[in-house]
Amino acid sequence: MKNINLKTLATLISILVLSFAIKAQSYNTLWIPDTLRGTNFNLALKDTFAQIVTTGNQTITGGINGKVWGPTLFFNKGDSVHFNVHNYLNDSTTIHWHGMHLPAVMDGGPHQIIPPGTIWKPYWKVNNNAATYWYHPHLHEMSVEQITKGLGGLIIVRDNIESALALPRKYSVDDIPLIITDRKFTNLNQFSIAPYGDSVLVNATLRAQYNVPAQVVRFRILNAAIERSYNIGFSDNRNFSIITSDGGLLNAPVSVNRYTLHAGERIEILVSFIGQLGQSFDIKAYNTALSNSIAGGETFTTGPFGSFLNHKDFTLLHVNVVAQTTTPILTIPSSLTTNTLLSASIAVITRSLTISDSAGVTTPIILGPNAFVLNHKLFDFNYMNYSVPLNNTEIWQITSSSVFGHPFHIHDVEFNILSVNGVAPTAAQAGWKDVVFVPGKTGPTNSVVKFIAKFDDFADATHPFMFHCHIALHEDEGMMGQFVVTSTNTAIGIIEKNKNEKDFLLYPNPANDKLYVSFIDPTMVAYYIRITNSVGKTIYMLPRPELSNGLDISTLTSGIYFIQLTDEKTKLTTTKKFIKE
Amino acid sequence: MKLIKTFSILSLSILLICNYFLINSFSIKQNKKEIINFRLKNTDGKYISLKDYKEAKGFIIVFTCNHCPFAKLYPQRFNELNTKYEPLGIPLIAISSTDTIMYEEDTFPMMIKKALKEKFNFPYLFDEDQSVAKNFNAQKTPHAFVIWKENEKWIIKYSGAIDDNGAEPKKVKTHFVSNAVEDLLNRREVNESETKSIGCQIYFRK
Repeated sequence: MKNINLKTLATLISILVLSFAIKAQSYNTLWIPDTLRGTNFNLALKDTFAQIVTTGNQTITGGINGKVWGPTLFFNKGDSVHFNVHNYLNDSTTIHWHGMHLPAVMDGGPHQIIPPGTIWKPYWKVNNNAATYWYHPHLHEMSVEQITKGLGGLIIVRDNIESALALPRKYSVDDIPLIITDRKFTNLNQFSIAPYGDSVLVNATLRAQYNVPAQVVRFRILNAAIERSYNIGFSDNRNFSIITSDGGLLNAPVSVNRYTLHAGERIEILVSFIGQLGQSFDIKAYNTALSNSIAGGETFTTGPFGSFLNHKDFTLLHVNVVAQTTTPILTIPSSLTTNTLLSASIAVITRSLTISDSAGVTTPIILGPNAFVLNHKLFDFNYMNYSVPLNNTEIWQITSSSVFGHPFHIHDVEFNILSVNGVAPTAAQAGWKDVVFVPGKTGPTNSVVKFIAKFDDFADATHPFMFHCHIALHEDEGMMGQFVVTSTNTAIGIIEKNKNEKDFLLYPNPANDKLYVSFIDPTMVAYYIRITNSVGKTIYMLPRPELSNGLDISTLTSGIYFIQLTDEKTKLTTTKKFIKE
Repeated sequence: MKLIKTFSILSLSILLICNYFLINSFSIKQNKKEIINFRLKNTDGKYISLKDYKEAKGFIIVFTCNHCPFAKLYPQRFNELNTKYEPLGIPLIAISSTDTIMYEEDTFPMMIKKALKEKFNFPYLFDEDQSVAKNFNAQKTPHAFVIWKENEKWIIKYSGAIDDNGAEPKKVKTHFVSNAVEDLLNRREVNESETKSIGCQIYFRK
């Protein structure tokens, strides 16, 4: 009797232990962001909450049209896209279109601040090649917090070249977006604002799994982490084919079994699951292979940069192979496109940039504020680093004396990497890029990265583009600089502001649905219009507004409003009052 | 001589004991801040002050607002808390302190609508200049406080979240506010006197 009891007890205990073990390993189905297509896009940014941790309290998040992250935007190259970005957040923000080639005033960098309650209306013609891009807040010193909350989303650009290829493109079926991040949760299930998390989130899903068909599947992978790099591979050590770099198709698929994706970078990969029906695999981050100079390769488990994921191999996504779809892609194409890369010989200037550890940092362990700087200077809103003449082809040479590696990102352009420490880029990086990983120095030898870019199409002497480390923490701390692209010579250095005004007329006034603007000086063009209400709250931000059809004011409530109009040529701002009936 | 020795030992121990109490009372003061009485306009147009509640043993003060998605989850629970604890001498008072320039939804006319629509059975006060929120150091909406009368003073006994599940009231495991009130009603120290409030940040105008 006693024996049986003990046996029962042992069985019970083992069942309990087993059930806990199973529970600990239970997967959640990968959440797939909604899609928005067309040419007119409405994005509503708001403070909200989501059930991210399976049980217990919801996590306060930032959502765009939803609970966490935003919809995936589909653009066609050549289309003009128009946005209403409505900031319902508690705080000011910006939305930057990462990788997009567009006018600086539409770029959504730290200068294009959208106050709470305001609608920002950028628009541009899509010039980019087919690839995966993304959008995210870029408010200086707030990027970490706002990206941590899940503000951001993917952009998928299609073009004729990519569309002509036999590639998987059924979104969520054989074309699967993966927004990879890691986050730290408090004991109340809230996001901690920290460079490294202890939990992997793929599309805001913890312990994510997904069913993939037994055919060729495309994954669009974005590293949206605050700091961590992911050394991506499969649990069966299979090869996968990289088909894009940040800004377009590679000439041909590049077969690898590992690829390290740094913060801000994207790749699209093709993976064949043919003949593997019923099997399961893990997409993993093999971060034990990362050195301690690469984000996530450090061995700290405690302290501000401590994390359980540091220098570990961990699962990103569990995939289960299920039945084929009706018209499956069964082969990986042997060639993709013919990229005409920029030749170093056509560059008219080589700009020398530096990355360094701030003064006072002597040991390899870099902690504390403002640890890393570009060009020996922390970011200053009122300091212009470079004035790039329109249509210049330039080599940017980054020399790093930092002990840590930094993913360097530049706005406006897609570039070609010329060399990393004197070595030509690997095939997977020999395409269009907007982020390049600048390795930490080896011993006493500084690292040198060179890339080449053409700064065409958009000149604007007022609104700058940014260049910065895409580790959001470093960027927030001031590892950022700015440049303008100009068709005329503009002084670099301290920016001086004009104080005079240019005149214009508003009619009808009072107005009901439409408000028309008429310039007294016919050479005047509206560079920027801001509409504020009687208590000074900004309602609309209209970069380069199209004025011929009047301004739509139908949604404003009755009352007194102010219109601040900035002239394109002189950048002088004039304020007028109007009444909405 | 012996007397001196005894005296010195005695004084030393008195000093130590005093010190102990000093340290202790200091740490209590740190946690349990006194609240200055306030007078704010209710959605029914009347002004309300803590002094109006002669019989109150304590209050549940909730900083909330109209616009915040997380605050929107709680009105029914506020009604339930007030139904339960007002008869026991601990009424609930809700206060909106968010910036109405940023949020038209949080303006006084909208508060009136909200109070009617949600059938608030408690006052919903408008902290226009945010002074009361500053006095409490309210951080988020919702942010709950339990204050208790001690020697004719109002002392914060609990600060933080209302419970541990906003969207799914049935899955709540710990009712922080109710637990604090029950502890106080039973003349116990509040077991969990501070949690982190979860919701939308209350931004203070400068």
